[in-house]
Amino acid sequence: MQELTPDMILVLIMIGLAIFLFIVEWVRVDVVAILMMVSLPLLHLVSPKEAFIGLSSNAVVSIIAVIIIGAGLDRTGLINKVVAPVLKIAGNSSSRIVTAISMTVALISSFMQNIGAAALFLPAIQRISKVQNIPLSRLLMPIGFSAILGGTVTLVGSSPLILLNDLLIPFNLEPFGLFDVTPVGLALVFSGIATFVLLGRFILPQGEDTGTAKKEEAKDPSSHAGLSKEFYELSTPKDYTHYRDPVRVSDLRRRYLVNVVALTEPPDYSVISPAPDLEICSAIDLVVSGKRADVERMAEAEGMHLKEDLDVYKNALSATNSGTVESVVGPRSRFAGRSLQDINLQDRYRITPMSIYRQEENYRAKIDDLTLQVGDVITLYGTWKRLKVLQQEGGLLFSIPSDMEYMRPEKALWAGLWLAVALVMIMIFKIQLSVSLMTGALGMILLGVLTIDEAYESVDWRTIFLLAGLIPLGIATEKTGTAAWIAHNILDIIGTVSPIVLLSVIGILSTLFTLVISNVGATVLLVPLVVNMAIAANTDPRMAALVVGLATSNSFLLPTHQVNALYMGPGRYRTVDFIKAGSLVSVIFLIVMIASISLFYGI
Amino acid sequence: MAIITISRGSFTMGKTVAEKVAARLGYKLISREVLLDASERYRVSEQELAKAIHDAPSFLERYRHTHQLYVAYIRSALVERVLPDNVVYHGLAGHLLLKPIPHVLKARITSDMSRRVQIIVARENVSEPEARSIIEADDRHRQKWTKMLYGEDPADSSLYDLVVRIEKLTIDDAVDFICRAAESPVFAASKENQQKVQDLAVACRIKAMLVDEFPYVWVTSEYGSVLVYTRNRDSSDRLLRRSNEMRENIDGIYNLEVHAGVDVPLDAV
Repeated sequence: MQELTPDMILVLIMIGLAIFLFIVEWVRVDVVAILMMVSLPLLHLVSPKEAFIGLSSNAVVSIIAVIIIGAGLDRTGLINKVVAPVLKIAGNSSSRIVTAISMTVALISSFMQNIGAAALFLPAIQRISKVQNIPLSRLLMPIGFSAILGGTVTLVGSSPLILLNDLLIPFNLEPFGLFDVTPVGLALVFSGIATFVLLGRFILPQGEDTGTAKKEEAKDPSSHAGLSKEFYELSTPKDYTHYRDPVRVSDLRRRYLVNVVALTEPPDYSVISPAPDLEICSAIDLVVSGKRADVERMAEAEGMHLKEDLDVYKNALSATNSGTVESVVGPRSRFAGRSLQDINLQDRYRITPMSIYRQEENYRAKIDDLTLQVGDVITLYGTWKRLKVLQQEGGLLFSIPSDMEYMRPEKALWAGLWLAVALVMIMIFKIQLSVSLMTGALGMILLGVLTIDEAYESVDWRTIFLLAGLIPLGIATEKTGTAAWIAHNILDIIGTVSPIVLLSVIGILSTLFTLVISNVGATVLLVPLVVNMAIAANTDPRMAALVVGLATSNSFLLPTHQVNALYMGPGRYRTVDFIKAGSLVSVIFLIVMIASISLFYGI
Repeated sequence: MAIITISRGSFTMGKTVAEKVAARLGYKLISREVLLDASERYRVSEQELAKAIHDAPSFLERYRHTHQLYVAYIRSALVERVLPDNVVYHGLAGHLLLKPIPHVLKARITSDMSRRVQIIVARENVSEPEARSIIEADDRHRQKWTKMLYGEDPADSSLYDLVVRIEKLTIDDAVDFICRAAESPVFAASKENQQKVQDLAVACRIKAMLVDEFPYVWVTSEYGSVLVYTRNRDSSDRLLRRSNEMRENIDGIYNLEVHAGVDVPLDAV
């Protein structure tokens, strides 16, 4: 067997470092990738040209084009057009809704980034949940899983698959076609949906919580993130400000967990969604939202008079004018990483943030200091008009009763057409993926589906650099013979095995890797390795690579996948919920994948 | 109708002043009881607690956070003691430990050095230079302690509502001043102020229960709505679990939230 050279040791150290940094997350994953991009040529493990070859690779250009096409489809409201007929077909049975939406999400996700498809559908699902009175927790997980599974239907569905052909280049293996994976991908989607339809009631949380009383209150589906939808009107006595320190709107929230949604400023100026520092004056009316017990506690402690019913503000706060919505901080939202204090919703939009729900915890007393994360659920109160303005600004995903078409629906046809052009170029004219997709993206830009600036903004540079930065690590692993060395050693340990067993082992290995490091990282590290292993074990190396490309989407066990992280908050899921449903889906994924690969490709 | 803290250097007759004030107003006098309470409740020896509130933390202690721990215990015990109102406290650092309570009358008694030396010579049977060095060492310790834990100098008169120097003014004069000040309406325990004492008691109790495991937590409580702050995001899950566990043992908590990695408000304990 080949000797372990100093270069190989260096590569192993770099791989170890990358995996270590992926797990501990001292720096963001894309920064780790850039670190690799820079340090590998410095260590003379790859040439400077090879270090940056990732940036011009077919995979990276394809991803950029797929993201732009996805943004174009989003802009035209094509998704909303798809949802309406789907819902008509689905009717009001929970399993039919799950099936119909899951299929649609999977289909869309096969042509755009999974997280993009998941984010697009979130407001629609929230609305369906409300209208049909089905707990969100029963809908979101199956649909989220379908978005991930949909990524395996075409070669542009997920980053690992886009990357696959590039990783096969050094081995001179025949590249995969756009729809080569489709039979396997469809089998995976169908089996995933079937699992939830047949066993959903056993593996999904049913919306009613079984935990402690405190948890129940937080998860009661009838209350908005633990807040009652009800409003209470109170009045302050004439001498309210005489014997106490000034009481402000934010004080009432901190002390009694109630949100002031409207109050009178003397003499008779009505303020809807007052600013947190507004003082509560004597002899005024105010309307608060919160639990009755908290409101009563406040009325008693503050000497306020709690009215039987809404009185002064009856019309101003009617459901036709204003209401409460749950919004979710979307992927790449400009709100992520900032606090509500910085965003200042109250001053800028006159919208009152009422609570933040994050990872099983409901924040109500003080929410303006928390740094927002993707997947946080913010309950907002405001007039529909103002909520619409906020919705249009983007960054927060929510549905309001009269969703306005602020997009460019008239361009929907063009968007669809250019997607079709790109597909025809790939399938019929066999033009390279990146060129075809970029043509589609350019077509959309030229016809005004989206502007070039919008296209640039839509590109997620984190994904781009993650991909581009890890490609040289793959090259170094292959070039120095490290991949072959590891592969031989593993094969020596496991001995001679049948191709099915080998592919199963690779599938399990990829699943485990993708749970701890990103799917792209797992693909880059494992593909050179498994191709070498397959060659040594006389198994089809392309199939081994395909197993990695597919199994790195087998990320259901933990909420580490972006889609799972996004849906965790709104669905009020706990990590155990993912373990429960995800473990079953993961096992089924592996079995169906190996079975269908052997069925369709005959290994 | 007030809470009075009397801060004093050693041998300044502050203790006598405190006793006379308590007797005249019919208030409860507390000092060492606080250490006893803390020792009993948190199972730490009284000597260690006394040391923690007197000596500045050593290098090793700073690393082991024993000072934060013991001070949190003492503070919690002290706030419990002043809950019923009408008390005079003449132990250490009362003005700092009870700072968030608005109706605390903070008095300080000082005395000139020669008088302090005379008292110690008479009482301890030591020479004058020895007595002087004992006093100076003690003052230094107290100064270092407050500087280190609260960043304040105990001799800074702006920390107090009233500073009386026993020299030309007598002990009885000091007692008169303090009693008269205590009658001022600003030191009356209004409903709001009483609520603040109760909130401080809850916050201190929670802090005392958490500080052993999480030395860097801060707690606020407002009308039973408790916020626990930590700068460390990683420990927030564990902190939340622990906080919710002990929530059951503490009355008067309506809501509890853990805020990790955010700015800690200045009024947090």
